[in-house]
Amino acid sequence: MRWDAGRMGCGELIVGLKQRLATLPPGSSLELLAEDPGVSEDLPAWCRLTGHRLVEAHPPRYVIEPRKEA
Amino acid sequence: MAGKFCVSLTHARDDTDKATVAFVIANAAVGSDQETVVFLSTEGVNLAVEGAADDIHEEGFAPLKELMDNFVGAGGTILVCSPCFNKRALDENALVKGAKIVGGAKLVEFLADGTPSVSY
Repeated sequence: MRWDAGRMGCGELIVGLKQRLATLPPGSSLELLAEDPGVSEDLPAWCRLTGHRLVEAHPPRYVIEPRKEA
Repeated sequence: MAGKFCVSLTHARDDTDKATVAFVIANAAVGSDQETVVFLSTEGVNLAVEGAADDIHEEGFAPLKELMDNFVGAGGTILVCSPCFNKRALDENALVKGAKIVGGAKLVEFLADGTPSVSY
């Protein structure tokens, strides 16, 4: 899945990510394009908090693998 | 560092008293070996831009720029609310030393272990 979030950031982006990751098929990842300057600090923090895995971070492009549900 | 401490600041030139005292407390925290963050949001984000604090000098306190420089020099971090910064069309290439633009998750992570926070 690919999501171009444009200049969206902070809580709005986080909720959008949560919703999209919840719908991903098992084994797939989310490619995110996000131009907000806060995302490069925010996304690693959010992944540490939630257990999702940030596998690529080359702003404005990021790739996230959802955590494996128990 | 012995622990962590957050100072949340929502004012700049609109309330120089609160802006100054916030950094006084932040200096007390970082000087007490606390890993200290000043979180700037709403009007507070104006202080993240180079030069914005240069002429703010509240009576009875050190000049705000000096307080901010001392804070960062002592190892403190200034986190700047991204949507608040964008809303005001401020220049992300003119941030003061030690300031980082972040979203809410960065603040949540810092506070999530029960880290104390005071607000101005």
